[in-house]
Amino acid sequence: MIVTYNWLKQYVDFDYSPEDLSHRLTMAGLEVDFMEKLGEGLDSVIVARLISVDSHPEADRLTLCQVDTGSATIQVVCGATNHKAGDLIALAQVGSVLPGDFKIKKSKIRGQESFGMLCSEKELGLTEEADGIMILPPGLQLGTPAFEALSLKDVRYELGLTPNRPDCLSVVGVAREISAMVAKPLNLPAPKIVEAGAPIDVETSVTIVDPDLCPRYAARLIKGVKIGPSPEWMVRRLESVGMRSINNVVDVTNFVLLELGHPLHAFDYNLLRDRRIVVKSAAEGDVFTTLDSQPRQLGSSDLTICDGEGPVALAGIMGGENSEIKPETTDVLLESAYFNPNTIRRTSKRLGIHTESSHRFERGADVNMVPLALDRAAELIEQLAGGTVATGRIDAYPRQMAKKTLTLTALRTSEVLGMHIDALDIKRHLCAIGFDVEFAHDREDGALNVTVPSFRPDVEREIDLIEEVARLNGYDNIPVTMPASQLICHQGPSHQQQVRRLRDYMVGAGFSEVINYSFVSNGCWDRISLHADDARRKTVRVLNPLTEDQAVMRTSLVPSVLDTIARNLAYRNNDLQIFELRPVFHSVDGSDLPAENLRLTAALCGHRAPEGWAHDRSDVDFYDFKGVMEGILAQFNITGVQWAGGETEPFLHPGKSCEIRIQGKSVGTLGEVHPQTLETFEIDQPVYLMDLDLAMLLALAGEHPGFQPLSRYPDVYRDSAFLIDDEVNAARVFEVLGGIKNKNVEEVVLFDLYRGKGVPEGKKSLAIRVRYRSLEKTLTDDEIQSVHGKIVRSLQKNLDAEIR
Amino acid sequence: MKERLQAMLDTARGAVSEVESEKSLQDVRVHYLGKKGEMTSIMKSMGGLSPEERPIVGALANQVKEELEQLIEARQGDIRQVEIARRLKEETIDVTLPGRRRFAGSKHPITLVTEEIVEIFSSLGFGVAEGPEIEKDFYNFEALNIPKDHPARDMQDTFYVSDDIVLRTHTSPVQIRTMLNQPPPVRIIAPGTVYRRDSDITHSPMFHQIEGFLVDHKITFGDLKGILTTFINCFFGENVGVRFRPSFFPFTEPSAEVDIQCVICGGKGCRVCKNSGWLEILGSGMIDPEVFKSVNYDPEVYSGFAFGMGLERVAMLKYGVNDLRLFFENDIRFLRQF
Repeated sequence: MIVTYNWLKQYVDFDYSPEDLSHRLTMAGLEVDFMEKLGEGLDSVIVARLISVDSHPEADRLTLCQVDTGSATIQVVCGATNHKAGDLIALAQVGSVLPGDFKIKKSKIRGQESFGMLCSEKELGLTEEADGIMILPPGLQLGTPAFEALSLKDVRYELGLTPNRPDCLSVVGVAREISAMVAKPLNLPAPKIVEAGAPIDVETSVTIVDPDLCPRYAARLIKGVKIGPSPEWMVRRLESVGMRSINNVVDVTNFVLLELGHPLHAFDYNLLRDRRIVVKSAAEGDVFTTLDSQPRQLGSSDLTICDGEGPVALAGIMGGENSEIKPETTDVLLESAYFNPNTIRRTSKRLGIHTESSHRFERGADVNMVPLALDRAAELIEQLAGGTVATGRIDAYPRQMAKKTLTLTALRTSEVLGMHIDALDIKRHLCAIGFDVEFAHDREDGALNVTVPSFRPDVEREIDLIEEVARLNGYDNIPVTMPASQLICHQGPSHQQQVRRLRDYMVGAGFSEVINYSFVSNGCWDRISLHADDARRKTVRVLNPLTEDQAVMRTSLVPSVLDTIARNLAYRNNDLQIFELRPVFHSVDGSDLPAENLRLTAALCGHRAPEGWAHDRSDVDFYDFKGVMEGILAQFNITGVQWAGGETEPFLHPGKSCEIRIQGKSVGTLGEVHPQTLETFEIDQPVYLMDLDLAMLLALAGEHPGFQPLSRYPDVYRDSAFLIDDEVNAARVFEVLGGIKNKNVEEVVLFDLYRGKGVPEGKKSLAIRVRYRSLEKTLTDDEIQSVHGKIVRSLQKNLDAEIR
Repeated sequence: MKERLQAMLDTARGAVSEVESEKSLQDVRVHYLGKKGEMTSIMKSMGGLSPEERPIVGALANQVKEELEQLIEARQGDIRQVEIARRLKEETIDVTLPGRRRFAGSKHPITLVTEEIVEIFSSLGFGVAEGPEIEKDFYNFEALNIPKDHPARDMQDTFYVSDDIVLRTHTSPVQIRTMLNQPPPVRIIAPGTVYRRDSDITHSPMFHQIEGFLVDHKITFGDLKGILTTFINCFFGENVGVRFRPSFFPFTEPSAEVDIQCVICGGKGCRVCKNSGWLEILGSGMIDPEVFKSVNYDPEVYSGFAFGMGLERVAMLKYGVNDLRLFFENDIRFLRQF
């Protein structure tokens, strides 16, 4: 909603500065999104007269104008075509800065000097669009600033109104709020109409078929109008709030809509068949062409205004092409009605038509504004377009809307706001914005009976009145206090702490957290080669996605993470350590809501360390990631892990990946990305992925195992190197080593792995270091040798190891 | 004897003062004080002395031995000092060479502001709650006093999964779920991901919010101002101006929009605050009685307030991020800045 300072002044007397007014409106709940001073800094745009207009010798589309500024004659090159010698125009002199930071400089256009610019309304910030330059009305003093000469200096406020305030969708509504601020009366227009024609009910009639959908419908008839352009003041007024002038009659209906907030419609009376109005629901399947030439398929829930034969307007939304005001229209039937907000809203939404009119009706217009708006429009049409107003008006109001009366106490108001508020203050505040307030004499608690004005459909309960009081009293005046509330322990679910610890661990391990959209393209499952019957293909689909790339809720974070890698590589960010920790969504049979399971997907590629003079620039590999996973398991005291190699995920390299099984349950996978998948994602270097089901993993978290005592005795270690078959994996070696139970074995480390020269084909050489230490004494050589011998023999026996 | 001792001491003193290394000093020590050294041979010849002379010379010999040992020890100290000084001189490194760094991990800025805000409210006694991102219409709208066909539904363009299941448009459904689950008093903060069908330079179809609410006996609008002012002062700084102005949310009444003085220009007016000097950061209000009814709280007995804020906006203000899209592009150069 746009209002202007000058227009508001027509209805209430106030002397706030423009900035002050902006602040006060905002603090009253009518937020000023944007304030614009029309003509500010444009004093160098002056009224000037065109002495001559000749064509530019070098350019057909340009004109060469000699301009009289009142004190000098200058030359200006102009690209418009709508000007002629003798016209008064707005000249932006050299040095002017027009809206949009457009600086006017002396220039040379195709060889001709130009000392300024002839302005259009658009260039002066008056309208959004303009055809040609602005031709000023005659009689203005040359050389005076154009905005002053045209009385155009004004301040425009764009209000971001909340949907509960339809009453402020009008200049008068906003003025009412100001009148409460300054405690001055609101001056509503009081139309004076010269009724000269025949009584209206002889000429026409209004029938309301469904009064629930249209509780009130009033009409006036004006005959013999002359359709033409509106006078300057009307054009400027509409333009000042961003509306274009169309013709005098349509302008009047728009003006009243803006002034009083009540949408009106003007029909060409002679195009109404049977010359009467019937308000009724459309028949299913009716096709009706609205003013914008669009055929509209109607349904039985759409309310229409019909003449004797069929629809002539979509009630409260848009008129019909068949009855619109045309240049040749002479007789006008004016409609002022009140429609049920839900009906208008449903139809407007279904048909996708949003108009100034539907916007107001669906939020709730004022049923009592119907006659005033009608008369105001009739008065203005009579003034602007001539004609004769038929005597009287039709006012069909079959179902009187009940007055809302609410009860409010000062005590309750004070309790909600946290400050003492007196009943008299409440009365004063509410009366200032048009509420009727009486003390309830039948009650001893000083309760107030409040009658809500019909322009405030949002006020329905005591609490709504309390909000009005708070608002008018000023939120600033409510004291700042701290709640006196019981102490309660709100320990969140334990997985919150676990997730936080896990995230901290990943960050500590050098990974950066990413956040991708939860919706992905349905095609992404093919990109990671999921099998046709993979459960992850059963996605939750968004019915109205913005794009097909955001059509389904992801069941895996893998595609997004790989996309993130690819995008970074495209920027030559080659060393990446990232993780995403977010839910995935699975539809669940028999449950209306999908399951949301947290997953952790991490990826690693590039070098181990940043570039540097002494840095480890080797590439990361599987074991870097496995170390990270082992760290996670240690963090959460998870034991019983099994690294199961082989085919795992279709997007992982089958020889370099594993499933992570914990206590027999698969909690995720780890490995190098399949070369085929890398190709699909256009990634040209090895990438390692870890993909974990957190609900499962974190449920396996163990308690801290408890403190282990520290030995005060010296340690001794023994190294052994041995050859075994290449097929024997490390897990098997550790299994055998673990079979030797001895309390003095403190640690066994696999410290070397070697294949190649000196080692026979099909074999590998392993070297282990066993660290011995007792909690009770210094171990003797014999004691150590006895255990170490057992270990060696066990390796020989179980693994066919050849000790080197 | 005395003369021999004195002479030996004099030559030894000279020898000690001349040696330059620990090894030569050791040779000197062996030469004079070793088992076969001069001292030993002098002592051996003491047998020829008279019983009167013997203790006198013995004492002198001990004195000389002691002095010699001290001399050697002192010299040894000197030599070591010199040696250390020499090493120190040789072993200098260039401390201005860059260190051996690892890749530093980083939390997403949205996580960082979430954690910071949760921490502030935790210190005020709020617990953390969560709710599903795919939500029933009832929790997202109906129970929050946003019936079907209500114009307020236009404020939030919604993604639908089915007729009555939506991608939640705000974190407010967590209010409903929590209150349906437990009686007052409640003090909850609920961060989460939300979705709205809107995508342009200032809107992302997925973003993050944090919701908070407190319900107990006699909670007032003044308390709402108190808690939120405290939060803002903790998060944005003690001296940041705060204002509460009337607004509208279907689930609160009275409702307030909370603005802070523009942190970019200090309130003078700039592009970020659209020249108003103020930045909108929070929506809030007293929980509407209709909401209490839908969770079976008695509005005559309990009152409370709720608030919500967009985390991307807060993160943008805190870190000066000028483009919303950066949060979801996940460029590592961006992420590693946090």
